[in-house]
Amino acid sequence: MLLNGTITGLIMGGILSLPVLGVAVIYGITGIPNFAIGIIGVFGGFLTWYFLSFNIGFAILIGVVACFAIGYIIQTVLLTPISERGGDSTLFFIITISLGFVFEGIIRSIFPRPNISLELPRIGTITIAGVTVEYFKVFALVFALGTLVAIRLLEEHTEIGKSWQATSQNLKLAKLVGIKTGRVFSIASGLGCALACVGAIFWGALYNLTLLSGWDLGFTGFIIAVVGGIGNIWGGIISAMIMGMVMSFSGYLLGGMWQSVILYFIVILVLIIAPKGILGSERSL
Amino acid sequence: MNDRYEKIITTLILFTPLLFAVKGGYLQEVSGYLYLFLIQGYVAWFLYFKCGQPFFGYSVTMAIGAYGTIILTVMAGWPLIGAMIISSFAASFVAVVIFLATIRARGLASFLLAILFPRLIEALRDITGGRSGLYFTGMSDFIDDKYIYVVVILLTAVIATAFFWLMETKTGKIFTLISENDRLTQAVGINTRNYKLLAYALAGFISGIGGAMYVNYTGFVSSVDIEVFTTVYIFFIPLIGGSRLFYGPILGALFVILIPELLVSIERYLRILYGLIFIIVIVFLPEGLAPYFRKFIRKIFVKLTS
Repeated sequence: MLLNGTITGLIMGGILSLPVLGVAVIYGITGIPNFAIGIIGVFGGFLTWYFLSFNIGFAILIGVVACFAIGYIIQTVLLTPISERGGDSTLFFIITISLGFVFEGIIRSIFPRPNISLELPRIGTITIAGVTVEYFKVFALVFALGTLVAIRLLEEHTEIGKSWQATSQNLKLAKLVGIKTGRVFSIASGLGCALACVGAIFWGALYNLTLLSGWDLGFTGFIIAVVGGIGNIWGGIISAMIMGMVMSFSGYLLGGMWQSVILYFIVILVLIIAPKGILGSERSL
Repeated sequence: MNDRYEKIITTLILFTPLLFAVKGGYLQEVSGYLYLFLIQGYVAWFLYFKCGQPFFGYSVTMAIGAYGTIILTVMAGWPLIGAMIISSFAASFVAVVIFLATIRARGLASFLLAILFPRLIEALRDITGGRSGLYFTGMSDFIDDKYIYVVVILLTAVIATAFFWLMETKTGKIFTLISENDRLTQAVGINTRNYKLLAYALAGFISGIGGAMYVNYTGFVSSVDIEVFTTVYIFFIPLIGGSRLFYGPILGALFVILIPELLVSIERYLRILYGLIFIIVIVFLPEGLAPYFRKFIRKIFVKLTS
């Protein structure tokens, strides 16, 4: 049971870490809490499902690109201008929740089925120390960790990554040295939404995608990101893995419904003891 | 129109649905429901817009009032009024605890607790009924539904008037000062923490009373009723209506609660419309609907008198 719980927890943490990464990238760079990220990701998941009969790669690309474009556009047109006028986190909370309503309504209007399952190829199974796991689940975990490494490499070794760091550390100085901070924000927002979309695709392939899973993914992403230290990418990943384990073991030992209760108490404890998260963050929600 | 007349008019408007009590029917049912949310809307108006406290646990405190009342009356055999008051104190206590727990985390941290709370209710489904909920006869064991409606209207009017009065007192002015400039208030020797605790305790209590009344009026509560979106809608009530004017939350509640009722035929597109209107109001009408409503009424008044 211990090994089974650990593997399940790691995989669950891996899938959850994708929207968490999305939240961390957006919040870490723009300082804006985007609560619509999950529902935008699920919109991408529904788009992928719609085009799945054409070609799997094409369908995934459509979903991810559409989410990137949505993230880019809402940041450019709505969120950055409001941020420049001095909008606070409460205002962004309201606006992004409202945006979530809009996308939830769009999904409801366009797609006839409110509950879908993405039929992706399952490849086969692998046995690790006597526990049989689907390759696809291992792939989800490896993909999440690979994405983290890719983001870190992008941050350290590319021009855009360095401008991300500069913008998140000192916005005024970044503007002074000629960084187009508005564009940096838009790319970060696009990337965050694209990551949420990949998370939603994995979620839809392993479980089901519904209108509610968008809010669920986004909110759980936020909770985990806050526990890790919102805006801190490493904190987010570690927190996702810990939470995955906690949910897995509490599910095994106490039953599925207690997962959320345990999560609730962990969040309260973290907010009291370490309000900036387990790895800390320059910013707090 | 000065503040005094505005308060008197707002209070009078709050009493007008009593006319439906005579007629009954659908209008009464909906307006009662609207008023139950208006109580919560005035709590948000008071705590966020007048005291500057970023609290997003309205659904939590409301739920404690509702579930507490049922559990204490049905399961523990307490008298109804006692159960309602104790549940409201419990809601007040929880609001204070949330404030203390999230004081260092600031801002939206209480929203995370509002997200998780319905899941807690779901997990405790042996007691709370989870999604299937709990049925409750409550006041209808003693009085006719028509009178429960009257109690809801009167309670809402009393709560709103009490908030108007409170904001005029020395304590209310300190609340306003804290919301304008917390540090400055501290610098002049006021213990802002104690005042914030008082604001949370008061808001939690009123929200709890609102929750207790909710379950008496609707006769049912489930984890679906206290979903995180309940908190969002409650927060939208003073925001959309306008927080500066006393009747702002009334307009907000009319908008937030009545629009879905009126647009039931296009339910499929309701969320898009809702989301877009919220964004437009927030971005282009940051003062809410109330100032425009006032201008409109004035124009009509001028036309009629000329």
